[in-house]
Amino acid sequence: MQETIIQLALAVLILPLVSYLVQIFAGKRLPRQGDWLATGFLGAAFLIALYIAIHFLSAFDQTLSYNLNFQWLNLGKEWSIQLGVKVDNLAAITLAMVTLISFLVHLYSIAYMHDDSRYATYFGYLGLFTFSMLGIVLSDNLFSMYMFWELVGLSSYLLIGFWFQKKEAAAASTKAFVVNRIGDIGMWLGILILWSQFYTVNLDEIIAGIQNGQFTLSNTWLTIGGILLFMGAVGKSAQFPLHVWLPDAMEGPTPVSALIHAATMVAAGVYFVARIFVILSPDALTVIAVIGGFTAFMAATMALTQNDIKRILAYSTVSQLGYMIMGLGVGAYSAAMFHLLTHAFFKACLFLGSGAVIYAMHHEQDIREMGGLRKKLPITFITYAVATAALAGLPLFSGFLSKDAIIAGGWGWASFHGGGWYNVVPALGLTAALLTAFYMGRQVFLVFFGEPRNKEKYDHAHEVPAVMWIPLVVLSVLSLFPLFSLNPLSGDAGWFMNLIPSLQTVVPGIDGAGKLTELTELTHHAHWSTVISSVLMALVGLAIAFFIYMKNAVDTDKLAQSLRPLYLMSFNKWYFDEIYEVTVVRGNIVLAKVSAFFDTFVIDFLVNTTGFLVGFFGLLVRKFQTGKVQSYIAFALIGVLVFFVLKGVF
Amino acid sequence: MILSGLIFIPMIIALLMIVVPKEKTAVFRWGAILASVIQLALVAILVQNYDLTKAGINEAAGYQFVENYSWIKVSAGSYGILDISYTLGIDGLSLPMLILTAFVGLIGVISSFSIEKYIKGYFISYLILLSAMTGVFAALDFFLFYLFWEMMLIPMYFLIGIWGGPRREYAAIKFFLYTFIGSLLMLLVIIGLYFSYVTNPGAAPEDMIHSFNMITMMNQGNLVAGSLLSVEHWRHVAFILMFLGFAVKIPMFPFHTWLPDAHVEAPTPISVILAGVLLKMGTYGLVRVLWPIFPESVLYFAWLIALFGVINILYGALTAMGQTDLKKLIAYSSISHMGFVLLGLASLTTEGTMGAMVQMFSHGIISAMLFLVVGVIYDRAHHRDIDGFGGLAKQMPVYAGITLFAFFASLGLPGLSGFVAEALVFMGGFSQPVTQNLTIIATLGMLITAIYYLWTYQKVFTGELNPKYTGLTEINSRELTMMTALGVSILLVGIYPSSLTDLMTVSVNHLNDLVKSAGTVMVGLN
Repeated sequence: MQETIIQLALAVLILPLVSYLVQIFAGKRLPRQGDWLATGFLGAAFLIALYIAIHFLSAFDQTLSYNLNFQWLNLGKEWSIQLGVKVDNLAAITLAMVTLISFLVHLYSIAYMHDDSRYATYFGYLGLFTFSMLGIVLSDNLFSMYMFWELVGLSSYLLIGFWFQKKEAAAASTKAFVVNRIGDIGMWLGILILWSQFYTVNLDEIIAGIQNGQFTLSNTWLTIGGILLFMGAVGKSAQFPLHVWLPDAMEGPTPVSALIHAATMVAAGVYFVARIFVILSPDALTVIAVIGGFTAFMAATMALTQNDIKRILAYSTVSQLGYMIMGLGVGAYSAAMFHLLTHAFFKACLFLGSGAVIYAMHHEQDIREMGGLRKKLPITFITYAVATAALAGLPLFSGFLSKDAIIAGGWGWASFHGGGWYNVVPALGLTAALLTAFYMGRQVFLVFFGEPRNKEKYDHAHEVPAVMWIPLVVLSVLSLFPLFSLNPLSGDAGWFMNLIPSLQTVVPGIDGAGKLTELTELTHHAHWSTVISSVLMALVGLAIAFFIYMKNAVDTDKLAQSLRPLYLMSFNKWYFDEIYEVTVVRGNIVLAKVSAFFDTFVIDFLVNTTGFLVGFFGLLVRKFQTGKVQSYIAFALIGVLVFFVLKGVF
Repeated sequence: MILSGLIFIPMIIALLMIVVPKEKTAVFRWGAILASVIQLALVAILVQNYDLTKAGINEAAGYQFVENYSWIKVSAGSYGILDISYTLGIDGLSLPMLILTAFVGLIGVISSFSIEKYIKGYFISYLILLSAMTGVFAALDFFLFYLFWEMMLIPMYFLIGIWGGPRREYAAIKFFLYTFIGSLLMLLVIIGLYFSYVTNPGAAPEDMIHSFNMITMMNQGNLVAGSLLSVEHWRHVAFILMFLGFAVKIPMFPFHTWLPDAHVEAPTPISVILAGVLLKMGTYGLVRVLWPIFPESVLYFAWLIALFGVINILYGALTAMGQTDLKKLIAYSSISHMGFVLLGLASLTTEGTMGAMVQMFSHGIISAMLFLVVGVIYDRAHHRDIDGFGGLAKQMPVYAGITLFAFFASLGLPGLSGFVAEALVFMGGFSQPVTQNLTIIATLGMLITAIYYLWTYQKVFTGELNPKYTGLTEINSRELTMMTALGVSILLVGIYPSSLTDLMTVSVNHLNDLVKSAGTVMVGLN
């Protein structure tokens, strides 16, 4: 079985790559520019991935995993660089999730991108992205993970900048790659620390090495290494302070936003942290929890005042990723992974739904120009409402199960550490839940309810074609609770939480087993209070949105006026872009200009001056080259005389 | 004979060209192609018959395809016997460089088809240059090495000075003087080495055979007692002098300013050769000669060498970011990337040294591609001002894609050759306490490089198409052929690096062990 599953997994990996190559080199010459081929490839990949997932689900063994290694580089030493794939429960589920969403996005794009002049290329890029993403999912080692990691960066760069004629799109793609690279450098340094200790990149071997106490540096170094590795996730999963690229990435085509910037690429960071979870020291985990909690809160506040339908979702994504990161940091490992899965479906549904709205409204993205669209787009509306409910964390929907588990984990973690300041992290998560319900409520009310604010665009709007709404329906069904857990109020009994067990870290000196049980106990203890408080938060958030935007109980302009500093802070995204502009960007430019100046006017000046002086000296000496034999004889005689005089003296 | 053939076939064809009337341009062009193709075929035979288990470096028996003829042998009385031999041979360090030379040489010839001025003189110079470069990589006698080394200078001087851009004479003179001073430093040390090493130590002074053979100089048993280079601090001095000689060619900060000028003025194919092959002479000299002859100095100065490597990486990258001329930007990025070679070599680990070697090869093909990319747009738009284009991806989508490929290769995207090299250098550098901190600093180069390449791409290729350039023609099939050949090689090394590293593994490990062990043996030499 091992061999078959590995081969099938490799087939899933390779199919999108083949799709990429075909589309790039031959796509334009194929009938319909090869959209059916690319979509077909992904469909096939999904079916195979589904088969693998079913295999794992039916075995239902927490420890089941298949492995295949090969030697990539051997430099004739006792070590070599071994790359390989590993398929375990987490990988199998993620594999199915990524291929499904990628397939649906392919399908959706057939209509959405129909008129684009680079239609074939577009599908090629989607294939390249899916390939890179699956590479991360399947890697059993840090090295190939890093390689695919950067390839994801590349394909994201290509897709964000797909409409390169738009200046903003081109700038956004550069920004995304560069900001991600900052994270990548950290990740790479983390890999180097582990490499220089163990001379292996295989994760299982590294974990075993740490377990056996072969990490000879101090625990501080392990913490630093963990945080450095985590930096990679900070970049990819758009966590504070590297979150700035994600909202700009919305310049890409909307299906791309759904695939990359909602469901998969940004999830890569979370997935990666899950993979390295056991080697993270408690201190590193605390840092991770704080960053996650803070990001969840910060991004939610930014989403409150945005007017672009996609940007609201973008900040919401950052915020939800913050939840996942926080979940990992507090040790709610299964819950975080669970949220990764549920979020992928409902967020992809929201993004594709927003794409449907944008498509129907002829590329209008401002929610102030919309309104009343539920009558025009009934299917889109219903699916959007379902996904919104899931995101807001209402019971009966998938998001509730997973988000609740994370916040409960946060409370458990806080009391495990004795409360106090530790409570801030879950409190941030809970506040973000309120904000989430509010901004999603605001969006749904403004877009789908009330009177149309732009009559002309409203009149032209109509329901999207079937290739677009079928993915919406599929994804919204996947956002309901029964798929994940038969108990609508808790995911603990569901298959996911039992298939992906919580982990303990292997860091030496931290006695895990007992503490893991204690943490689980405390988390269970926090469960019911979390359920009640988070449902309350969601309802309050929706209620406020309802009164403000449906009942017009409050004049929003006046509200913005009276809370002006807060409003501006939110609207301007806490001024991160401005701060980075004057420090990092300008600093870089100045440094570059100074270097270029120094090179021309100092170093090269010295070189030229030396050359000039030598030339000048040559001019002097040239005077002796008179060309007259008489003077040469005279010079020679003088020389001989001087020689003998000197010889006599000494 | 195969190495002699490899070296001299281009030169013989060049000599034959002298008698061909200058109007027959096709003869020169296809003659040059012929010479390059023969070279490539011979290199293929070398690779085919190369024994991967032999190390070479300081063991004469480990060299392959050796040709050894006594050339000049005269008695110099009490100064012993002067022995210059025609010795050729290759090991794992030189074979990849020969592959690179033949490959990039052919690319250069194809690219030279666009040369319209004095075609006869151009191709004759080009082929002589090709012979000289090949000679440097195959010579094992220091005298011969130096001869080939100097032989490169003259055709290069003319190729830049005659076929170059507006400031070609300034650039050519600068290139010539700079490298010439470098070679003088090298010559000084060669003479010192010549007097200090003999093939028969212990013989009477007048019977001592002073050989220019490099391998003789690598075995410290051949040191004449009491000679200049048996004194430790003189050895350090000699090391520094020769290092500087090679540093000019690398080029190492602060001796690098000839390079941007030379590149900017040189015609495209000469830039390709310059960046692709010529810069590797400097670093090849380090591993071929300096490391095995002065291992104790290498250990002594390792930190300093690494420091200069990191300065190269960061300073080169920052200065590149400050450029407005596309070709100058690529030139500075070359400086930055050659810094990785220094850092890797200074780490004195297998990974680091291998990374440096892979970087030499990888930078050779990537920079060749980059300069071709610049050539394509310069031929069409007649300028290289980064801010003067805009939106070209619309007009030339294939060209844009190729440029993006080359840019990403240069910024170290995994799956392409540059990544393998940089990753190995980082791994080696980080694992050694001496170079660890410097390596951490060097990772910033990854970021700066990404920034300047992507900004450049953004300025030149994205946005609305500049109305001035609606008439630009897409990349033609000749250009596409060259790009494809280079691109496939970059991918091959990136995905399957063993195809390159296996040729070098034994030699690199041997070199590393030699430096490390000899370094400890030599202590207390004085």
